[in-house]
Order: sequence, then C-alpha cells, then structure tokens
Amino acid sequence: MRSPVPHRVATTLITLVVPLVVLGAAVLVALSWSADLPDPVAVHWGTDGPAGFGTLASAIVPIVVVGALLAMGAWALAFLAGHSASTRRIAAGSSVGMSAFLGVVLLGPLDAQRGLADATQASGVTTSLLVAIAAGIAAGAVAALVTPGDADQPSTRPVAADAPRLALAGSERAVWHRSAFSRSTLVVGVAAVLVILVLTVVTRVWPLGLLAVLLAVLLLTMVAFDVTVDERGLVARGLLGWPTLRVPLAEVVAAGVTTVQPMKDFGGWGYRLGRGGRTGIVLRGGDALEVRRTGDRVAVITVDDAETGAALLNTLADRARTA
Amino acid sequence: MLLRIDSSSAEPLFEQIGGQVRALVARGELPVGTRLPSARDLAASLDVNLHTVLRAYQEMRDDGVIELRRGRGAVVASAPDHGPLHEAIAALVATTRRLDIPPATTVALLKEALR
Repeated sequence: MRSPVPHRVATTLITLVVPLVVLGAAVLVALSWSADLPDPVAVHWGTDGPAGFGTLASAIVPIVVVGALLAMGAWALAFLAGHSASTRRIAAGSSVGMSAFLGVVLLGPLDAQRGLADATQASGVTTSLLVAIAAGIAAGAVAALVTPGDADQPSTRPVAADAPRLALAGSERAVWHRSAFSRSTLVVGVAAVLVILVLTVVTRVWPLGLLAVLLAVLLLTMVAFDVTVDERGLVARGLLGWPTLRVPLAEVVAAGVTTVQPMKDFGGWGYRLGRGGRTGIVLRGGDALEVRRTGDRVAVITVDDAETGAALLNTLADRARTA
Repeated sequence: MLLRIDSSSAEPLFEQIGGQVRALVARGELPVGTRLPSARDLAASLDVNLHTVLRAYQEMRDDGVIELRRGRGAVVASAPDHGPLHEAIAALVATTRRLDIPPATTVALLKEALR
C-alpha cells in the first residue's frame, strides 16, 4: 500500500486553480476588447505578417483548450504521483508557466490589433512571443518555488537485507564519487543553440539571442552531474550547482542498480519525471543507481559503477541507523 | 571512485588518500582527464581537514599523477603505460609467495630499492 501524496490542497491550488484562473482572466480581457478589434482578427502569422484570419472565438478557444488540458494533466500527475517535491514542482511550474505563456500568446497579438479596421495591417508577433516565453518562465519558476517541499522523513526500519553492501570497518570512513556526462544532451543542446543563433542573425530579430542564452544555461544545468555518496548521504549536483538531488542517509530504504531506457522510462534526457513518479537524472541509457527512499519516492541516476555507489550508500545507512 | 580512510591505521591520512588515487590511476580505473572531487568537497565527504586532502593532491601533482587547475579542480594527468609494471608486480608477488617470504619483507625491500 503506497503512502498518501502530501500537500494535495496546495497542489490543487497551484497546479490547477491558478492556471485556470489565469486562462479565464485572459479570456475575459480578450472579450472585453471585442468592440475595438477588427472582425475577423488575425490568428496566424507567417514570415510576412498575418497569414490566417478568423473570429475572436477561433483565436481564444484553441489556446484555452490546450492550456486547460495541460493544467489538468499536470495536476493529475502531481495529485496522484507527486510523492516527491520535484514531481510537484515540475508539474506546478509547467502548468502555471504554460498558462502564463498561452495567456500572453492570446492577448499580445490581440492588443496589437485593437483600433485596427483591417486585420491585414496587424504588426508582427515576435515581441509578443518573446514576452510570452519570459512570462512563462518567470511564472513557472515562481510556482515551482512556492510549491511546498518534502518534510524530513527519517526511516524507522533497517535497510533492506537483500540490497548490496560493501565491507567497511568501524574505524573506516569512505566516499564514492563519479562524474556523469551526457553526450546526447550536449550534441542536441549545442545544435539547438547554434540554430537559434543563426536564426537570430538571419532574421535580425536580436531578442532571439536571449533565447539562445537561456537555452545554453538550460543545457549547462542538464548536461553533467557530480554524484557523491558519503556520510551525509547521496548528492547529485549539476554543473552550475543547480539542480541538486539529495537523499539523506536517514531516508534511504534501499539502493540498487537498475537499467534505464531514457525514452521509454523517462521520455528523454536530463532531470526528469519518469513512470511511476520516479525522479531521474538521465544522462544516457544503461545501468543506473536507483535509490528507494521513504515516502514512496524513488531517485534514479544514470552513472557508471552504480553497484559500488549503491553498496556504499546502503552500508553507510546501516551504520547511521544502528549507531 | 571509491576512497576509504582508516583513522586507526598508522599510515597518515594524506598518504592513505594519495595511495588509493595513485593505485586507481595506475590500474586505469581513473582514465586520463577524469575530474577528481575538489579538495574542499573531498575533505567534507571524508570529514578530514582540508589541508590533509590538499597535501595528498599536491604530492600527486608534484609526481605528475594529477594536474591541479585553478577553478577546475584536480584532473588525472596523462600517464605512461603501466602495463609492464603490472606484469613485473605480478611476477614479484608470485616469487614472494613461492619462496614463502612474508609480504612485509618484500614491501620493505621494494621500498628500499625504490629510494
């Protein structure tokens, strides 16, 4: 029997109510502008300006439906499988971030069309799009930050007897350290940054350069992790010091080795949520360190020599619990 | 890499740390370019004084086992092929066993010969 998911009220408020309110408010604002807007309004843009036209409703409905479905999906994930704070944070961040992004995507171009007699005169949407991305990231970050974290949940039971151990004398101290690096993330990330940089130069839309910078920072947070097991527990730290995954010794139920298929188990590479609510630092396929922790949480890190790391973590957890 | 130190051992802690890293490098378990944890992180992990780790790292740097780079920490340096050494050591161990010589005697002789 799994333990209940904590903070379900906060999850519902942040991950479901807030995004729906944001989307609802955007719709009300759009409707309040209807007298000032041309009919039809521009709803799609090509390289040379407006390319598709429709009623105000046809501009509103797809955005609201997509936003509401994303919010409900994220909420369901956090409500049903949000045992660990990272799951709830990622769900809240994506849900609120997407609603803010979609709200600006709806309102920005409409705002630019207010007072126009004919929607073919509508200006471009690049600025709106960049503002929408910035608003989405900012709102998502705030939502993730205000999401309540996990309380300390020290285990009251010994580490599973069948989990791997290594011989460690009472007078010995030990540390296991590995650097894990993702070639696929690096290749894809660098390619994406270069494409955006080229687009920036070709289109002369200089603010796009900011997007390249953001993507480069994101790449640095996801491409390599330092994994350490010592008397304090397990720590996996990104290149910039963030994100960091910590499992204190007291919360170790059992550590072991598992096999990861990135697409199948986690839907890709990086710091991810996987099937069954597992938190994963996925840098490659193959052997990975899997730590089951209290509160029905599971952390997975694809790192070489996971067997030794798991054995040391179990051994140190034993020692901390019997001391 | 797994490092362990024994506070009840007579061997100084910095030698215990350095000896294990040297052995891992020599056996090829830490390939050239492997980044070691920073001295500060390693000292915190093993709950030893920072200067203990720094002394181990500095001696390894002086011997060309690792490179210390400002801001980038310690990196395993390029090393000559240790293959012939492993063969010689295997032969030494076999001879020691065959002649039933106490390991401490062989180690003492080896240390003296390397001086």
